[in-house]
Amino acid sequence: MISIDRSIIFQIINFLILVALLFRFLFKPVVQALDKRSNHIREEMEKIEKEKKAAEELRLKYEEESKNIHIKYQEMQEYANQEAVKIKSKIINEAYQESEKIKQTAEEKARIEIDKLYSDLKLDIIDISTEMAAKLLHERIDISKQDQLIEQLLEEAINKIEIKTDVQHGKQ
Amino acid sequence: MVSNNNKEIVKIITPLPMTLSQKKIVKNKLSRIGSIDQMVFQEEVDPSLIGGIIIIYGEILIDCSLRTQLDKMKEGMI
Repeated sequence: MISIDRSIIFQIINFLILVALLFRFLFKPVVQALDKRSNHIREEMEKIEKEKKAAEELRLKYEEESKNIHIKYQEMQEYANQEAVKIKSKIINEAYQESEKIKQTAEEKARIEIDKLYSDLKLDIIDISTEMAAKLLHERIDISKQDQLIEQLLEEAINKIEIKTDVQHGKQ
Repeated sequence: MVSNNNKEIVKIITPLPMTLSQKKIVKNKLSRIGSIDQMVFQEEVDPSLIGGIIIIYGEILIDCSLRTQLDKMKEGMI
């Protein structure tokens, strides 16, 4: 027959009681605390994940907006360049037209001035020529030439008057 | 223009005083357009005429001066 020491039985019972007490007062709260902690960490992780996702969305949104702003900036810059080219072209065109107008006016003025000078010169030459001719004739006219002039010129004038008178009488 | 004795005044302008032969030529020519007996001659000297003669007979103006010829030539050139 196997004999069991009573103290061993007692130690086993104590051990079991200790295990029961440990399970009841230590293991269970620790497990609960660990579960709670684990849940908290998971929640935090989920929260962080959400925030990360939101941050990513926000980043993408900002990137999109930034891209749009950049496109808009480029469009505006292109428009500004086109407008600048148009304005430049318009200014050059207007300046050219203005210069052409000034040139034409100057040419017209110069032409008028030249015509006037030419006309004045012509008049001066005619005046001088006529006066020289008058002076020359004055010096060369003597009694005999005056006789010839009166004879010749008066003959022509009287002939004309006679013809005119004949015509008038003919009409009457 | 008529004088006191109802004769027509004929004004004659020359650059030099008229000689007798010139007067004869003038009267001879004028006799073809009017009666010399009905004319009274008024002579005037104007050296600016240069040569030739101007006769004013009633409404008739006979301008045969060299000055007028020159002026016409001048107008033609202008």
